[in-house]
Order: sequence, then structure tokens, then C-alpha cells
Amino acid sequence: MNAPDRYERFVVPEGVKKVSYERDTKIMNAATFTVEREDHTIGNIVRMQLHRDDTVLFAGYKLPHPLQYKILLRIQTTSQSSPMQAYNQAINDLDKELDHLKNQFEGELAKYTRDY
Amino acid sequence: MDGVSYQRFPRIKIREVKHDYMKFELRDTDSSIANALRRIMIAEVPTIAIDLVEIEVNSSVLNDEFISHRLGLIPLTSERAMSMRFSRDCDACDGDGQCEYCSVEFYLRVKCLSDQTLDVTSKDLLSSDHTVVPVDYSDGLDNATNKGIIIVKLRRGQELRLRAIARKGIGKDHAKWSPAATVTFMYEPEIYINEDMMESLTLEEKQELVDSSPTKVFAIDPENKQVIVVDPEAYTYDDEVLKKAEAMGKPGLVEIHAKEDSFIFTVETTGAVKASQLVLNAIEVLKQKLDAVRLSDDTVEADDQFGELGAHMRGG
Ligand SMILES: [Zn+2]
Repeated sequence: MNAPDRYERFVVPEGVKKVSYERDTKIMNAATFTVEREDHTIGNIVRMQLHRDDTVLFAGYKLPHPLQYKILLRIQTTSQSSPMQAYNQAINDLDKELDHLKNQFEGELAKYTRDY
Repeated sequence: MDGVSYQRFPRIKIREVKHDYMKFELRDTDSSIANALRRIMIAEVPTIAIDLVEIEVNSSVLNDEFISHRLGLIPLTSERAMSMRFSRDCDACDGDGQCEYCSVEFYLRVKCLSDQTLDVTSKDLLSSDHTVVPVDYSDGLDNATNKGIIIVKLRRGQELRLRAIARKGIGKDHAKWSPAATVTFMYEPEIYINEDMMESLTLEEKQELVDSSPTKVFAIDPENKQVIVVDPEAYTYDDEVLKKAEAMGKPGLVEIHAKEDSFIFTVETTGAVKASQLVLNAIEVLKQKLDAVRLSDDTVEADDQFGELGAHMRGG
């Protein structure tokens, strides 16, 4: 009867920010991003992409609890970059990778359907 | 301002495509991308499924909610789903089911008038949209053998009359919306045989080694009696050959590594969307998700103000 709606899992409630950002007060160039209504799907790809970045000293994510529909992403960079810059870069690179993947897939699919 | 790009350029090789099945290789990327695609195909690519049922008459042996549940689970052709709206964010309607942007209406009216048991099937569902209909699984069957998915059986005098609304949804909400029957990927194995060590084995020992694998990965070449790899992908990472080599006192005779940047995908759908389309939709959904997690301008601005403070902290 008092069960939460199923869409609570993936719809960001009104007045809540999708991504919030909090600088670390003690460590330089470190910050925590809170991403609402996302899980391992986004958390893991962003983390792994950040690991490819030479300016990133630390990148990790966690899903604090299965019933809290958000992830926390922590990034620390060198002074050459900033957590925000690294985060944006990772998303842009992933986005471009997916564009490439889509083109590849469509190309191969067209080739396959022509040949068989 | 923009740093160097760390973008990858993954490659695809398609092995087999059928309507609701496909197999392909994904290379030059990591497991996070492979797993994200798999997860999205299962839980986040939208389809259309019956979500609301108004029962007018039901004198069948199954109760109303039982029938409603069964109706929900019937796969509907969902090519339209990607461009449709979710009912909850449709502003063109009040959710009465008449809206062309977010819902499809179905009617079902069946009554049994003979002594013969009557099967009510997915074929009795009449759709208001010819592009959204129950998936046809006939595939070469004639009309007499192909009856569709049975919803309920009626005896003489029993009747079922209802109106149903199908909506766009995702598997994360309810599994009835999942377009995936199975989506799996495996790491491509790299199998290395130490030929010098293998030479020191008798033919019987070679045969024992070949037979130690529960799947047919190795064989003995009938020509030169050498152990060869016949099907690396049959390997299930069970370690049996490695244990056997160890037990024979020959560790390192066979070495097997999982390539960390190559994946073999198997995609099977319910028929709601084509297998190839499911992969493309998954890429599209992932792109939309990434776009949604971009930092908003006000977040960046708020930090710029903080940046002054941050500069002090850094001793600047
Ligand atoms: Zn609507």
C-alpha cells in the first residue's frame, strides 16, 4: 500500500539536480559528483574512461545502497586538470566512442545484409 | 582548454543475423562498455506492452488480475517505441489511452458458443495501431497450427470482453517491457600450447588431456598426432585442462588468457524489436543517458564562484 512507485528508480524527482558537485575541502583537485537515478551502467563506464586520463590520479564510484537510486563518483586530478574538466572530458570521449561504435555497427550490418 | 582525447575506436564484426537473434564481435574497447550495452539491452531499451486493462465481462475461470497480468506479458511489435513518449511525461493527454503519442488501444471480445473449448489467444487482440500488434511467432507454420499465445480457455457460455491500453516502458520498470530474451557476452580466450612440452607426451597422455576438457576445445590432428585447438570459443573458463596439465606434472603445458578488449556478444530478443535494432537502440539509449549526466551550467557557475576561495586554498 505504501510501496514507492516503480518509476522512483529512474525518474529524477522534481527539484532534485541530476548531477551535483562537491569539492573536497581537504584534498586539492578532488571532488565528489552525485549522479541521481543512475547505477553501474553509467558509474562504471565513466570511471573506466577516467582511468585512461593521465591527469586523473583517482577515479572511483559507488552505489551507496540498492534502495538509494544514485551513485557517487569521486575524482582527483593533478594540477594540470580539474575534476570537472576530467569529468566533462570522459563524457565527451565516451560519447564520441559510441558515435563511432554506431557507425561501425551500421556499416557492418549493411555489409552483412548485402553479402548474405 | 580541452585536454587530449582518450577516445577509443571500437570495431565490430558481425557473425550471424536473424530476426530475433544475432552474434557479433566487439573489439578495442573494455568490459565496462560491453557490460553497459548488455545491461541497457536488458533493462533500458523501451518497448510497448499492455499496462492498463478495463474488464467489461469476464466469466472465464481466470480472475481479472490474472488475465491482466497475462496480457501485459504478451510481446508487442515495438519499432515505434523509441520515438514514442512515456505516458508519465506526455502533456498531450490525460492518460485515457486515446493519445497517439503515448498509448495504443486494444480490444478483445470473445465468447464461446460451442461445446468445443475455445482458446483465447494474442491473435484475438485487436489493435488500434497496425504497427503495434502481438508478435507473430508463426514462422512457416500454417494458420491451423499457429494460434498465437494462449491467454485463457473458455467453455460453452463463457465470455471475455475487455479494453487494454499499451504503453511505452523499460525493463527496469517491469520485466514485461524488456525486449531481451538473453543478452550475453564472453571474453575471447587466447589459448597457447607449449609445443616442446607437448612433444614429451605420449599419444595416450595427449588424448587424456584433450578429453579432460568438458567442452570440445582441443583435438588430436589425425595427420601428425599433435594437440590442436579446434574451437577456442567452446572454452568455458572451467580450468579443467590446466588442472589436468598440472596433475600430469606439466604446468604451463597449456596457457589460457581472456583477452580483455575482445567480446563475443549473443543477442536474442522476444521479437518486439529486431536483434540488430536492439543493439542500435542500446547505443542510442546509452548516448542519451550520457547526455543527461552532463554538468549543468549552474553547477559550473556555482563552482566558479567557489573557485576564488579554492584559489586561496591552493595558495594562489
Ligand atoms: Zn499521451
